[in-house]
Amino acid sequence: MQLLINLLITAAIIGLAGWEIFHHLQKARQGNCPACDCGCALKRQATRKQH
Amino acid sequence: MPTVALLGNPNTGKTTLFNELTDTYAYVENWDGVTVEKKLGRIKHSEIVVVDLPGIYSLNPLTKDEAVAVNYLLNDVPDLILNVTNASQLKRNLLLSLEVLEFGQPVVLALNMIDDLTRSGIRYDLDVLADRLGCQVRATNARKKTGLAQLKTELLAEQRQPAAPLVLPYPRPVSDAVQTAVTALVADFELTPQFARWLAIQYMNKNQTVRRHVADCGLTPLTENQVSYDRQHFDDQIFNTRLTFIERTITEATQYLNTSHDANLTAKLDRWITHPILGLPVFVGIFYLMFKLSFDWVGTPLSNALDALLSGPVSTTAANLLTSIGTLPFLKSLIVNGIIAGVGGVLTFMPQIFVLFACISVLEDSGYMARAALVTDRIMQVIGLNGKAFIPLIIGFGCNVTGIFSARTIEQPKERLVTTLISPFMSCSARLPIYSLFVTAFFPHNQAVIVLSLYFLGIIIALVMAKLYQWLFRIKESSVFIVELPKYHLPRLDIIAMGTWDKGKGFVKKAGTIIFAGTVLIWLLSNLGPTGIVTNINQSFAAMVGQVMLPVFKPMGITAWQPISALLTGVLAKEVISSSMIVMFHLAGQTSLIATFGGLFTPLSAYCILVFILIYAPCFATLAAIKSETGSLKWAAYSLVSNTLIAYVIAVGIYQLGALFI
Repeated sequence: MQLLINLLITAAIIGLAGWEIFHHLQKARQGNCPACDCGCALKRQATRKQH
Repeated sequence: MPTVALLGNPNTGKTTLFNELTDTYAYVENWDGVTVEKKLGRIKHSEIVVVDLPGIYSLNPLTKDEAVAVNYLLNDVPDLILNVTNASQLKRNLLLSLEVLEFGQPVVLALNMIDDLTRSGIRYDLDVLADRLGCQVRATNARKKTGLAQLKTELLAEQRQPAAPLVLPYPRPVSDAVQTAVTALVADFELTPQFARWLAIQYMNKNQTVRRHVADCGLTPLTENQVSYDRQHFDDQIFNTRLTFIERTITEATQYLNTSHDANLTAKLDRWITHPILGLPVFVGIFYLMFKLSFDWVGTPLSNALDALLSGPVSTTAANLLTSIGTLPFLKSLIVNGIIAGVGGVLTFMPQIFVLFACISVLEDSGYMARAALVTDRIMQVIGLNGKAFIPLIIGFGCNVTGIFSARTIEQPKERLVTTLISPFMSCSARLPIYSLFVTAFFPHNQAVIVLSLYFLGIIIALVMAKLYQWLFRIKESSVFIVELPKYHLPRLDIIAMGTWDKGKGFVKKAGTIIFAGTVLIWLLSNLGPTGIVTNINQSFAAMVGQVMLPVFKPMGITAWQPISALLTGVLAKEVISSSMIVMFHLAGQTSLIATFGGLFTPLSAYCILVFILIYAPCFATLAAIKSETGSLKWAAYSLVSNTLIAYVIAVGIYQLGALFI
C-alpha cells in the first residue's frame, strides 16, 4: 500500500511536470513565453502594436 | 448626420476623450485594408457621430495604418475636426494641427493633459492660440474630466462661424506654385478652392497617399509638375515655414508660472544626459550602478539569506518529515534533491532580479529611458539602424519574446527582420539566475562589473551582427524614430512597486511551471539510465548526453559533463540551467554548488560559459516568436544554429586568448 501511494505521488509529480512542458511548448509555438499569462505591461504593449 | 472626426498624435488621450464624449455603445470595425479598429460613437444626447481616427504624427503616412486618416480626409468630409493634442508637447503636435487647419473644415483644438503643462510651470493663452490658428481652442483633461462640458458645448453648437483654411506664409516659389495649381484644379477639375489648395500643398509635401490619389484622379496640373516641385525641395520649405510659424505661435502664447522649476531642471539635466559624447558614459554609469545595487550591495546578501533558509531548515525539515511518514527514497530524492533544491535554488535569486527590475522601473518612471533611446540612436545610426530598434532591444532585456514582438513598430520590413534576429543577443532576465550563481562563486568582489560586461557584450554582438545584416540585406531605407522626452520627476513609490511586480511576477510564475517541470525532467534524466534507475549518476541518460558532447566543449575550459547537460535544458527556459546544475550535482542549494564549482571551473572558464549562455541558442519560446514574426521556420532554424555557432566561437576565443595570459 505504501509503495502504491509513493508510486502514485511520483507519477502525479512527473505527470504534472510532463503536462507543464507540453503546455509550455504549445504556448511557445504560438509565440508566448510561460510568463505571458501574467499580462505584463510589456506584453500588453507588444500585442497592442500588431499590424 | 453631422460627423466629428477625432484626430491627433498617439498618446494624447484621444481614446479617453472619445470614450468620455460618446455613448458606451461605440461601434467597432476595421478600416478598409488594414487591421486598425474603426471606432464610431455618438455624442451623448445628440445625433452627432464621432469618428476616432488612428493616432498619427502627420498626414504624410509612413504605414498603411497611418494612411487611414489621410484617406478619410480624401474621401469623407467631416463637419468638424476635433484635433486632440498633448498640451505638454504642443510644438510637435501642432505640426499635424497645421495640416488639419489647412484642410479648411471647422476645427476645435483640444489641449489635453493640461494639468501636466501647468505642473511644468507653463500655461498657454488660449485666445492668442485661437487668433493665430484661426480655430476654437479648449483646455481639457480627459482623465480627470475637466473642460469636457465646455468642449461638448462647442461640438454641439449649431451656429458656427464659417471656417476658413489657415494660410501660412510659404516662400514665394511654393505659394506661387500652389496658386497656379489651385487655379487649374478649380477651373478644369471643379474642385473647391480650399480642397484644391490643401491637396496641392500635400502633393508638394510628398504625401505618398495624396500623390497616389492625385495620380488615380488624373489631376494633371499637379502630376505634370511633380519633378519641378521635388527638385526645388518644396517639402523642406513647407516644413520650415510650418516650424517657424509654430515656434512664433508658441512663443506668443506661452506664459510662465512661478510655481515650478521642473522645465529648467529638465533642460539642465538633459545638457549632460543627452549630450552627444557624454550621454553614453552616463548611460554605462547608470547601468553599472544598477548592477552594483542588484548584485553587490542589496541582491546578493538577501539571496544568501534566502539560500541559507531554503537549503538549511526548509530542506532538512522536509527531508525529516518525508522520512517520518514513510516516504520511499526515490520520492524523497525527487522532492528534496529535485524540486526543493532545483526550484528553490532558482528562487533564491529573486532578490537580485527584483532589485534589478526595481531599478529599471525607477529609470522608466523618472523619464530616463526615453533619453537612453535618444543617446543610443546615434550609435544605431552608425550601424544603420535607428533608435526605434533600441526599444525592442531594451524590452529584450526583460524577455526576448516581448522584445521581438515590439519590433513590429519598425515599419521597414528588412530593418524589422534585422531587429528580430539580433534581439536574442540581449541578455534577458531569465539568464540572471545563472549569472548570479557564477559571479557569486568566482567573482565575489566584481559581480556588477562581470554582469555589466555580459550585458554590453550582448549589445556589441547585436550591433556587429546588425551591421553585417545591413550589408547582406542591402538595407538603404530606414524607419523614422520619434521619441517624446518627458520631464524628469521623482519616481513615485507606488509606481515603482507596481512596475517591479509587473516585471517580476513572470519569474515567480515560471518557478511553479516550467522551472518546476524542467527540474523534474533533469532529475529523471539523471536518475534513469539504459538499465533503469541508476545509483551512479555517471551512468544516467543526462551523463550520456553530456559526456558525448564534452570533447566539443573542452576548448572553452569545460571539464565536466554536468554543465553541458544543463545547457541543453536551457532551451526550455534559461532559468532551468541553474536548477539543472543544482539537481545534477545532487546538492542542497547554491552554497554547496558554489563550493563544488571551485574544483570544476577557473574564473576564466566560468566567464566563458557565461558568455556561451548569453549568446547560444534562444529558448523555444523565442524561436517560436522568430518563426511567428518572420513567417518562416528557416529564420528560427537559422537563429538556433547561427547563435550557437557564434557563442561557441566567441567563448572558445575568449578562453584560448585568456589562457595565454592567465
